[in-house]
Amino acid sequence: MGNTSTRTALDPFQQVCKNWHEAAKNVRTFNRLLSSDAQIARTPKQLVWTLNKAKLYRYSPMVDPHPRHKTPLLLIFAIMNRPHVLDLRPGHSFVEYMLKQGYDVFLLDWGIPGPEDKNLSFDDYTLEYLPRAIRKFQSITGAQQFSMLGWCLGALISTLYAALRPDDGLKNLVLLTAPLDFSDKAAGGFSRWASDAAFNADRVVETFGNVPGEMIDAGAKMLKPVENFVGTYVNLWDNIDDVGKVSAWHAMNTWVRDIIPMAGAAYRQLINDFYKHNRLVEGTLSLRGEPVRLSQLRASVLNVIAESDHITPPCQSERVMSLFGTEDKAVHRVRGGHIGIMAGRGAEHTTWPHIDQWLAARSN
Amino acid sequence: MSENGTRTDPLDPTGVLKGMRDAAMTNWAQMMTHLVNTEAYAGATGAMLDASLSASAPFRKLMESTMAQSLANLNMPSREDFIRLAEQLTHIEMRLDDMEAKLDALARPAGGGWNRTES
Repeated sequence: MGNTSTRTALDPFQQVCKNWHEAAKNVRTFNRLLSSDAQIARTPKQLVWTLNKAKLYRYSPMVDPHPRHKTPLLLIFAIMNRPHVLDLRPGHSFVEYMLKQGYDVFLLDWGIPGPEDKNLSFDDYTLEYLPRAIRKFQSITGAQQFSMLGWCLGALISTLYAALRPDDGLKNLVLLTAPLDFSDKAAGGFSRWASDAAFNADRVVETFGNVPGEMIDAGAKMLKPVENFVGTYVNLWDNIDDVGKVSAWHAMNTWVRDIIPMAGAAYRQLINDFYKHNRLVEGTLSLRGEPVRLSQLRASVLNVIAESDHITPPCQSERVMSLFGTEDKAVHRVRGGHIGIMAGRGAEHTTWPHIDQWLAARSN
Repeated sequence: MSENGTRTDPLDPTGVLKGMRDAAMTNWAQMMTHLVNTEAYAGATGAMLDASLSASAPFRKLMESTMAQSLANLNMPSREDFIRLAEQLTHIEMRLDDMEAKLDALARPAGGGWNRTES
């Protein structure tokens, strides 16, 4: 009797102690995840070219040369984030996936602009840095034709290049969440904020030179404030025992926290020429005096659109398709957000295979 | 909001609380997303940012000129000097890149085409 009553009295107490122990362990894990960096961008690569802060990397092939695709692939990411999201973590990396599918993969990393780069504009990125990187890339691979994949502002730069240099070997162009058409001013927070008469991009650039990464990061997070400032941490806490989800969260958070400034002149151009005046679609955009005509774009185009994208709403990418000069063009809509369609858990079953199939048919 | 929140046991008090939390957060998130997408929010943040930058401009300019003068008096290079130097280095890098491209072209076999290299 006595033993039974002692046991029943102790069991709840032991349970409480166990729960506290578990909670303390979870708090320690939570703190560690918030204060440390995950190992990201681990796929082996060689630096093959540099110019100012820009670096061109070639990833080490993962398949023998024989079954490899003849047309190499150049990846271009946005200018205000690090490109590591393309190679997030081993086992869940777009770069790794494409290498295994037999592509010769290169990455152009724009680098982190310093105060001396405040005058870098889309003119420089499109007509100075990118052509030079491509020249080196063609020299190394020996391939005169190549494929290019641009994501976010990287897709904008890729589109500008494709329209201005249609004869320089670009065969296939993959655009991911490409912000190109800003005619709908009410589409998404950025469009509305940037188009507002009170928003003065010139003043921001005059003040800061380069636009601080913290300001860009805060702006992006304010598009969905509760999800970004609260929800992400609540989700982490709820899934803290799930090793797979925790490691995915940690990798993504490491990338999100790695914020960089944006070159002032490019920011001014993005707000004034693109968001406010929609010059690319209106046909009034010139880079270094050369008019940009989307009808000149002759590469095959795959335009991948995220249906729940709050940064680049689908209308900013989709309507522009009719303006491209190429006959071989396709839109692929994917369920997911701006980053999730390429770095989310489902990307390797949805977006990546589609890109591979589309490119493979045009890469030999 | 959370994936676990959709599978709560109604007899578990923490599960019920979690469900209430998730429902509250979903409503809060919808309300905030709607708020930041309004004309009023766009106008207010734009005006606030512009006002704060305009107000700080005279102090910033004063600080910059004072610092530049102080460094000049100490025979020290200023931030602007370093920026000019870095820009010149980039221009030199571009010339080197042009020369490298010409060398690459010369190194190409006479029959045309490039050598395919493997690392």
